[in-house]
Amino acid sequence: MLNIKVAGLELSNPTMLASGIMGVSGSGLKAVAVKGGAGAIVTQSISIAPREGHKNPTIYTMDDSLISAFGLPNQGYLNYREEIEQLKDTNVPVVASVYGYGIEEYVEVAKAMEEFGASAIELNLAYPNAGKTGSFYGQSEHLTYEVVRAVKSKVKIPVFAKLTANVTDIVSIAKACEEAKADAIVAIGPVGAMKIDIYAKKPVLANKTGGLSGKCLKPIAVRCVYEIAKEVDIDIIGCGGVFTGEDAVEYFLAGAKAVQIGTAVLYRGIRVFKKVCREIESYLKSQGYSSLDEIIGLAL
Amino acid sequence: MIAKLHVTKIREIIKETRRIKTFILDMKIKAQPGQFAMVWLPDVDEKPMALSYIDGYAGITVLKLGDFTKKLHEAKVGDIVGIRAPLGRGFKLRDEDKKILIVGGGIGVAPLAPLAEKAVEEGKEVTAIIGAVTKSELLFVNRFEKVGAKVYITTDDGTAGIKGFTTDAMRMLLEKETFDACYICGPEIMMVKALELARAKKIPSQVSLHRYFKCGIGICGACVLDGCGYRVCKEGPTFWDFEIEKCSEFGSYWRNAAGVKVYFKKK
Repeated sequence: MLNIKVAGLELSNPTMLASGIMGVSGSGLKAVAVKGGAGAIVTQSISIAPREGHKNPTIYTMDDSLISAFGLPNQGYLNYREEIEQLKDTNVPVVASVYGYGIEEYVEVAKAMEEFGASAIELNLAYPNAGKTGSFYGQSEHLTYEVVRAVKSKVKIPVFAKLTANVTDIVSIAKACEEAKADAIVAIGPVGAMKIDIYAKKPVLANKTGGLSGKCLKPIAVRCVYEIAKEVDIDIIGCGGVFTGEDAVEYFLAGAKAVQIGTAVLYRGIRVFKKVCREIESYLKSQGYSSLDEIIGLAL
Repeated sequence: MIAKLHVTKIREIIKETRRIKTFILDMKIKAQPGQFAMVWLPDVDEKPMALSYIDGYAGITVLKLGDFTKKLHEAKVGDIVGIRAPLGRGFKLRDEDKKILIVGGGIGVAPLAPLAEKAVEEGKEVTAIIGAVTKSELLFVNRFEKVGAKVYITTDDGTAGIKGFTTDAMRMLLEKETFDACYICGPEIMMVKALELARAKKIPSQVSLHRYFKCGIGICGACVLDGCGYRVCKEGPTFWDFEIEKCSEFGSYWRNAAGVKVYFKKK
């Protein structure tokens, strides 16, 4: 009932682990894939060289949302090889998130990830807290087009572009992805945000600003998915505040074929993927549908 | 519920040894022994610290080691700190255990003192082995003695108690006595050895691990243990012997802020 094909990948269910959650090592991702029941997992964003990321505090928690700025820490792609290789026996597709400071760095890491066995590449054009990478690319139609085109020309596996809502017009960025032959768009990454503690009288995060994720991101992200789906034909993966099956259904109705789940791992545990799937199923049954396909884009 | 940031003041500072200070906070935290706090020093950093006082005002006990702890040691009463607590899973005292052994090395004694206090309160007979490099660095011996625990002391240099490691004292003790459960916290290599000794006598044991934390609440993945997939900040920091046996990295390596493996130096 929940199996779906997204950008050429056959997924057993439409829930994917979002990048940056539990992805420091293969062991964490394996826990999500096996215990959690995710239909696919996205690695933490990987770069050329090891990167420590920002100092703590890297996270500020609210009732159902977070502001975080980890700063894209990772081991560098050479070290990450053994982490990815641990996931082969799970039979869950692994999407490798990659970022770079320069288009050639995106290409180098993406090529390596394909070689290490990733099922798809997710270009990080969304992350707001790590200097001239991530949203630095995703905020420009021209740079978005160039990164996607360069990576597409060098890898055979599907390429997703993860976009930021911190732009004037996300539809024009999505169109640039489509023109550059991206296989799917992931919308959206965390929105720039900050928290100041009124007693410390300082920003809480060491990086001062961070990215907002969780429930309060959902209305913004659903709007982005809806606007993109109206104008673009490639597959869309919704991301932002999916905690329940009902949240996921909103994205499907807006035109997304799958959803990514990140922050909800904190609030509903690693098994959130299984829980969301059950809830989607019970919605479909209660509404008289027999497969997920039938509701994609119904609200458009 | 996920513990939120609570900004509070330092209420009292106790100099425990030359390199260890306790900071009593102006807040109470309902916690189990072995649970921890993420401690934020504005403009410096945020690090995990075991709660060393949980009855009344909460406290943390800190060894001066790196930049963060050095800055914390410079703090004065009334200074502001941010606290996220209680986090993680504390030690488990089981009803059926009447006689327990506590083994603590160095700053690892910090979460074990409230454990001893709670165990005695529950009517258990407590024996403790407390170790340090030298006499003046021994931590909380008075707290164990005050609640009536039988205390054995070890120092690396022999300035107090038995000359040697906690595991040397443990080996000698287990030759003549047995226990229903054992609780161990200290340098990881010490914990590996202590766990072996307890296992040889079939004594169920818990250890408390230290790893590099970022979020402290189980989503970033920085502290996931290889082999078992447990998050030290969430399923831990305390683990039973049968749990830690599944964690292939225990006693071998930890991961730094980038996630790169750093191997322990074997003594």
